Amino acid sequence: MRTFVARTVPLFLLLSLLASCGAPTAATPTTAPAAPTNAAAPSPAAPEPTTATNASGAAPATGDPIPIGIAVAQTSNVALFGQEQVAGAQVAEAYFNQNGGVNGRPIKVVLQDTGGDEAGTINAFNALINNDKVVAIVGPTLSQQAFAADPIADKAGVPIIGPSNTAKGIPEIGDYIARISAPVTAVAPNAVKAALEINPNIKKVMVLFAQNDAFSKSETVVFQHTVTDTFKLDLIGVQTFQTTDTDFTTQATNVLNAAPDLVIISGLAADSGNLVKQLRDLGYTGLIVGGNGLNTPNLFPVCKAQCDGIIVAQAYSYQADTPINQDFRAAFKAKQNKEPGQFSAQAFTAVQVLVEALTALDKTKKLADMDLAALRTALNKQILSGTYITPLGNISFTPPGDINQQQFYVARVKMSADGSSGAFEFIK
Amino acid sequence: MGSFFNTYGFLLTSMVLAASLALSLYLPLMAGQLSLASPGFYALGGYIAAVLSTRYPAAGNTLFPLWRLLAEMLLAGLASGVLAVLVGVPALRLRGIYLALATIAFVEILRVLSLNLAITGGAVGIFGIPQPFSTQIGYLWIAGPLLLLSMLFTYRLERIRVGRAFVALREDELAADSMGISPTCYKVLAFTLGAVLAGVVGAISAHFLNTWNARQGTFDASISYLAFVLIGGSRTFVGPVVGGLVLTALPELLRALTGVSGLPPWLGQFLRDGRLIIYGALIAIGAVFFPQGLITPDLLSRWRKLQP
Amino acid sequence: MNLFLQQILNGLAIGSLYAIFALGYTLVFSILRVINFTHGALFALGAYATYLLTGSAVNPSGVLASLFSAFFGKPALPLALPFLVSLVLGACVAGLAGMLVERIAFKPLRDRGADPLLALVSSLGVSIVLVNLMQYLVGTEIYPFPDTVLGNLPRAINFGVPGKPVPVRTVQIVMFVVSMILVVLLTYFINATKTGKALRAVAEDTTTAYLLGINTDRLILLTFFLSGFLGGVAGTLVGLSVGINGPYFGIAYGLKGLAVIVLGGLGDIPGAVVGGFALGLAEAFVPAHYVAYKDAVAFALLFIVLLTRPQGLLGRAAVQKV
Repeated sequence: MRTFVARTVPLFLLLSLLASCGAPTAATPTTAPAAPTNAAAPSPAAPEPTTATNASGAAPATGDPIPIGIAVAQTSNVALFGQEQVAGAQVAEAYFNQNGGVNGRPIKVVLQDTGGDEAGTINAFNALINNDKVVAIVGPTLSQQAFAADPIADKAGVPIIGPSNTAKGIPEIGDYIARISAPVTAVAPNAVKAALEINPNIKKVMVLFAQNDAFSKSETVVFQHTVTDTFKLDLIGVQTFQTTDTDFTTQATNVLNAAPDLVIISGLAADSGNLVKQLRDLGYTGLIVGGNGLNTPNLFPVCKAQCDGIIVAQAYSYQADTPINQDFRAAFKAKQNKEPGQFSAQAFTAVQVLVEALTALDKTKKLADMDLAALRTALNKQILSGTYITPLGNISFTPPGDINQQQFYVARVKMSADGSSGAFEFIK
Repeated sequence: MGSFFNTYGFLLTSMVLAASLALSLYLPLMAGQLSLASPGFYALGGYIAAVLSTRYPAAGNTLFPLWRLLAEMLLAGLASGVLAVLVGVPALRLRGIYLALATIAFVEILRVLSLNLAITGGAVGIFGIPQPFSTQIGYLWIAGPLLLLSMLFTYRLERIRVGRAFVALREDELAADSMGISPTCYKVLAFTLGAVLAGVVGAISAHFLNTWNARQGTFDASISYLAFVLIGGSRTFVGPVVGGLVLTALPELLRALTGVSGLPPWLGQFLRDGRLIIYGALIAIGAVFFPQGLITPDLLSRWRKLQP
Repeated sequence: MNLFLQQILNGLAIGSLYAIFALGYTLVFSILRVINFTHGALFALGAYATYLLTGSAVNPSGVLASLFSAFFGKPALPLALPFLVSLVLGACVAGLAGMLVERIAFKPLRDRGADPLLALVSSLGVSIVLVNLMQYLVGTEIYPFPDTVLGNLPRAINFGVPGKPVPVRTVQIVMFVVSMILVVLLTYFINATKTGKALRAVAEDTTTAYLLGINTDRLILLTFFLSGFLGGVAGTLVGLSVGINGPYFGIAYGLKGLAVIVLGGLGDIPGAVVGGFALGLAEAFVPAHYVAYKDAVAFALLFIVLLTRPQGLLGRAAVQKV
């Protein structure tokens, strides 16, 4: 019994010690040594402020960094996306600091892992807001997590930019909530139109969607409306699958038996890729239109040569030839050794929006002169009023905080013969 | 101190709710029944609260009335209780690991249903659930008394006839039966008590998390609650409570630890990347080195003796 | 008729996989009467090990890429073993990890005479460690096996008559064949070898077997090796079919595996095979309209079987031990 106590007591002491350490230490290695509230250390601002996007001739930023929170899933099975978002945000941090930061002051990306669940997201948000004293947060990864944590940030008056929250109702959570992920209604119909241009004889259409994925579920509704209402085609069947599924032989068999001219898939990269692969393996030869979840180079290794010919409507294309996207693409490739996908581009864009809004704000009123609450509120106003030239194209925000995006693309997957490499080729 | 509550108000309340959920698993275990059904009732209770509060929003832009939260909790408890009797009567003929597996199946079936039904909002779930409190720490006014009441209830239960019947069933079902204790009746009672508690906690959690979806009641949750009970100690009601509190706080303590200044950079980096590796290792170590759990009846009686 | 045949073939292929995965679970259960929660993690581990042994490259999101680059000059192991060799070696890695799991999470509890339930928790802890360690090492990207691993086999093989095709993916046939070979080997091992008989004796009654001079400790280790090996092969086969979808991809199988071993009767080795096929076929015959409820099928079956035949589809009713 004595040994039991001897073991237990130190454990509890340790735990309570941890608890007491956690809260008050705002100055941590992960965060800025001095938060923006702390104006005591004057930042050596450049005499002539440079804008962040002005890539040529800007000096690297120096001084106390401005903390920007990134709360995405770095663990759990959502980490596949979170990992891409972290990569995009880190590229953004390096890139904008190299190009002068916020009028000479660097930014600092503070990561907090949300895990895959709602409670973890709220904990991560609370840590960023209260301990890390960030000016704004980019995150979370899933819409479900956003519904849980965004109201808390809104109440605390911290601007949120959702990099990948596509469900209906996200910007309406509150004044401080904005997102840069495009609404599906704008993107999806373009792909069906492109398919009809390739093969005007399409009559019978089959639709498949991942039934446990919020985005795919709303996207498929748009696709189905496009098929039946816009183009008056014959919708011969709707089938569901799960993003966690690996075996799609049931669905593929049903498709083959119905013999459609066009198959439309809404899902995520891994499941949709396997669905395409199994459809093609079993002998489906018609056209395939993919939803936005298939708009990622992560698709290529899954279905390899069988990816060839998938038509995808894109909210982001890594081949967009704007200077900012080329810079992003080059920086991303140098670090990650692959093409950036949409999740990375959105995370980069979210950080860019914050940097440019901070820069503009700093010009009207020095950031260092504002206390944190005022800075967060002013920043939120600035975010919503600005326009931004980003890898996603020219974007701005609607008054509730939804994205206004100008450019959408339709691309067709082109794989090399052995399936080892692929690309999205524009068709319009 | 205000900053502490802002940061950790959510965590403190989650710890208290987790402790209640651990108790909901402990109640059937008192009667020797290893039921992992709590997440299913938790999800059900949450959906009841989420549907009621979003379909019939309170008038005006004020806080959600407290009496309605209490009514939802009552309703969630009732519904969970009824479902528990329906499921429990056939399922509780099973023993040990078989019962555990049957209850896991029950949780999974409920999860797939809620993913497919229209009323539960499918994959997106239900969001914009109104708030009865203006801060997250405010939920402690409901969660705290609930936990205390449940603890008091369990404490009393262990000392009255019903509770002693539970313990008799746990120790030796055949002997208890021959002593005139109806196994089925008491098993279903224990199972239902746990289900009611889980349902009530679910109703609070739906408001507390702002949103509710099919990811709330899962197999993973079943196993976490079991870990709460077994790491905390399954022989006294204090064990599950301590287990729920400690294991819920642990990942966040590890998160806070990564922020402590003065750590070598490599250690901070490892703590950040390997937070869950450490968490898993601590669970395994806890199970191996404290096979009776952190809190044992022995330990409690020693503490009691220390009191003057 | 074609659809019927097609679905039978689909069901058999996926069922054979469920069978070998569940065999791994049930072997451990038959000896120790506990469920090994690390089985899903070992499944993923085996797949990753095979992937690395074929000389395929890892992505820079895990630390392994930089380690490999530092030592071998490229983000891959400096070897390129044939697929079948890698499959066996990768499964051995999972098997060895299984032995390690037994020493860390199971043996200490046995030695202390702890509640067998606690093994659920200790193996859960080890499982969390394993999954997150894998993520730390290789990241969460999808790792598909190169198309070349199966040589020049066609993508699908037709089982129907010309004009009425019943195509089956070659990968699924490979899955079925490899699984069946393993089932036959395991059956031979358990029924015809001395060690196998000893294993059955331990499963029947550990104490008596010990008194008869059987080294139970060594046999338990062997069981964990076999269990991990089977899990590793299953992981590789799924990885071959659909790519290794992150360190978590074994967890969903872990849950289904539970359903399978209950269908077959816990700890019943032929039962696990029957249960695997039963679940595979049942899932294949879920009507297209209700495919969303496919995951519920396994658990509805489990629930019904538990309530009506708790000894499993094959088993004899056990005498209630009190």
